[in-house]
Amino acid sequence: MFSPCWSRLSCVALSSRGGLRTLSLFSSSGSSNWSKVVSDAEKIVGYPTSFMSLRCLLSDELSNVAMHLRKLVGTQHPLLNTARGFVYDSKNNLQMRGLVVLLLSKAAGPSHAASDLLAQDMVSGIYPSQRNLAEITELIHTAFLVHRGIVNLKEWTDSDGPLKDMQFGNKMAVLSGDFLLANACTGLAQLNNTKVVELISSAIGDLVQGVYYENSHNTEENGLTDGIDVAAWEEQTFLSHGALLAKSCQAAMELAKHDKESQRLAYKYGKHLSLGHKLNSDLQPFMKSRVGEPLSFSLSAAPVVFHRQIMGRETWHHQLQQAKTLRNQLDYSKLLAAVKSEKGVSTAMDLCCYHGNKALEAIQAFPSSEARSALENIASAVTKF
Amino acid sequence: MAGPWWRKCPRLTTGCTATNILENLWHLKGRPVSFSASLLSRASCIPTPETRFQHKYLHIFLSRHQSRLLLPTLQSCCCRATHSDTKPKDPFTLAQKDLTSLYDDIKKELFVSKVELKSLCEYYFDGKGKAIRPMIVVLMARALNIHSNRAGDLLPGQRAIAMISEMIHTASLVHDDVIDGSDKRRGKRTINEVWGEKKAILAGDFILSAASMALARIGNITVVKVLSQVIEDLVRGEFMQLGSKENENERFKHYLEKTFKKTASLIANSCKAVSILVNSDPEVHEIAYQYGKNVGIAFQLVDDVLDFTSGASQLGKPTAADLKLGLATGPVLFACQQFPELHAMIMRRFASKGDVDRAWQYVLQSNGVQQTNYLAQHYCKEAIRQISRLRPSPERDALIRLTEMVLTRDK
Repeated sequence: MFSPCWSRLSCVALSSRGGLRTLSLFSSSGSSNWSKVVSDAEKIVGYPTSFMSLRCLLSDELSNVAMHLRKLVGTQHPLLNTARGFVYDSKNNLQMRGLVVLLLSKAAGPSHAASDLLAQDMVSGIYPSQRNLAEITELIHTAFLVHRGIVNLKEWTDSDGPLKDMQFGNKMAVLSGDFLLANACTGLAQLNNTKVVELISSAIGDLVQGVYYENSHNTEENGLTDGIDVAAWEEQTFLSHGALLAKSCQAAMELAKHDKESQRLAYKYGKHLSLGHKLNSDLQPFMKSRVGEPLSFSLSAAPVVFHRQIMGRETWHHQLQQAKTLRNQLDYSKLLAAVKSEKGVSTAMDLCCYHGNKALEAIQAFPSSEARSALENIASAVTKF
Repeated sequence: MAGPWWRKCPRLTTGCTATNILENLWHLKGRPVSFSASLLSRASCIPTPETRFQHKYLHIFLSRHQSRLLLPTLQSCCCRATHSDTKPKDPFTLAQKDLTSLYDDIKKELFVSKVELKSLCEYYFDGKGKAIRPMIVVLMARALNIHSNRAGDLLPGQRAIAMISEMIHTASLVHDDVIDGSDKRRGKRTINEVWGEKKAILAGDFILSAASMALARIGNITVVKVLSQVIEDLVRGEFMQLGSKENENERFKHYLEKTFKKTASLIANSCKAVSILVNSDPEVHEIAYQYGKNVGIAFQLVDDVLDFTSGASQLGKPTAADLKLGLATGPVLFACQQFPELHAMIMRRFASKGDVDRAWQYVLQSNGVQQTNYLAQHYCKEAIRQISRLRPSPERDALIRLTEMVLTRDK
């Protein structure tokens, strides 16, 4: 484990370096800061990435699904929430991955090795193949959001609504997810680079394993088994949240035939940024509370996982029991207080800073540019709460 | 353990050989037997002008003659070519060597640490499947290699394609079972039945990603493009099943297109892919593709027929799985012509009470089954026509034999 003091100090130091914002580390203006960082970044890459490949969305197949989705309105099927997320802009759906891939492509500059990649093909400093890769990354990410929304029919209860609706929702979720993945596969083939196909396909495999772990944690909520330690958490979270971006960043470098070192740095940036971002996201409920918002958080959120590991199985189980109401529902505010009173939150925050720094370290090895600054800002922004 | 279906078809009459059958056919037409027995029996005959002429005549004869006779006679001779001076033409035997380690090799590609996920992914790679796709791929590869002046042995990339085709096929089956809510496949409970839908979907995605990685490792981007198209076709085919067409004419076209996407595309493009690895002539690629496409469509048509006929004789009640899913396949579409009542049932996807049973009755009373069989024969003939343009080899002849087996299978 790393030293908490060291990383926190270095975080503060970074934020006062010239050229970056001098906001305090845990400012409450986190979300507006984030939006500004992203919209500045979008300008640099030439057009907003806040829509997925229109070609895909407007296809007959997905239009068909959209039509069928109307039947799900009023049911509890998760697919409806996933679909809503695309229509209403929210922090999770800013197409971050695609944006990062585009920025990195630009930051790395023109190719020195490939004879078939011409400077005149670049738009806003990015090759068409790299743009396509960014789109493909988003397609894969979305496909898995959709596939995550499938429900196990055997666990269905009356309160979920009619079984028929759940079955129908599943069907739509499987089909649309598959459609997106299939488009990703054909898109990958069109990049004319078998190394990239292999790399991104392996990322899909990683995603599957990551989601598999996610599911097994979500189903085990009574606190009776051993928790996982930080290293295991990082490994599993990398699979479900980091591998795709890390490997896409590397692939973007490969497409422009940049050297092994650039590929390694790009991978490193993608990996640490994703982990930092996930930690930030997990920490939100544990930061200064927002009045009026209903409180709830996942028991697989990093602060909770670390807290559990620190407390040990028995104490954790006891705390869970204490936090249950007479009707065996979980009183989240009680559990929140329990977690906040120990070191789980601070461990998560330190880890977040650590990863943010690692990402910064990686990107600063690239030559100075607008795109690089945007990536630095993004890395810094994930360490702000 | 149940063997592959083609092993079940010997309704042999003793001493029956291909030659005898054709002799009978010729006599029926009032012609003397005028060709040598070696025509059909010699596996790798070098085409002399004489045999070439006879071969051509034979094909013309076969295609003109009504298939009603063709079917039962071929049934009795398709499995045995008992001539000691030739290699067996039984497709399964020829492909045997290449296929024995297929499932083990596939399992090696499914590299995953979580034990449960690994067992899910390996669930259908237990050697009990028919492995018909890899078999076709392997035979096609060898036939093409021989045609292209190489030894018959498989190139590593061709072997990989055989594996990949089976993996893609399996991944789609796993997802289809979730979509259809099936609880049984190949005599076992489906993955979604045992482990739930969430894990089943993940397993399918993983197999797909492993197939994709193996595909990339072959190192040929054209091959990657050809097989990625299959993945897209499979999904689009599944989507096509969601909607029904109003117009009767459109419906049949829609049905054939869906059949291509869901079944034939994989076989056609796998054949094309192995051809790309050994030969640069686009005409050769086209032969491979067309064979695969035609055999694939025929295969599915027969499958659709069996959904009506197989349950009937054994259980006395319909399997009718397609009807129950609301799908109108070949036999139903043909039966519409005689029983217009079926139109409304098709539009509402057999959802009303009693629809499934009534539709099944109508189909069996009509000539829907026969018409679908004739159509399948038509596609097989086209497949044979295409593959015959390749240089003769045991594998090429096995592929011809295979089309016959496709037509005569009973499960």
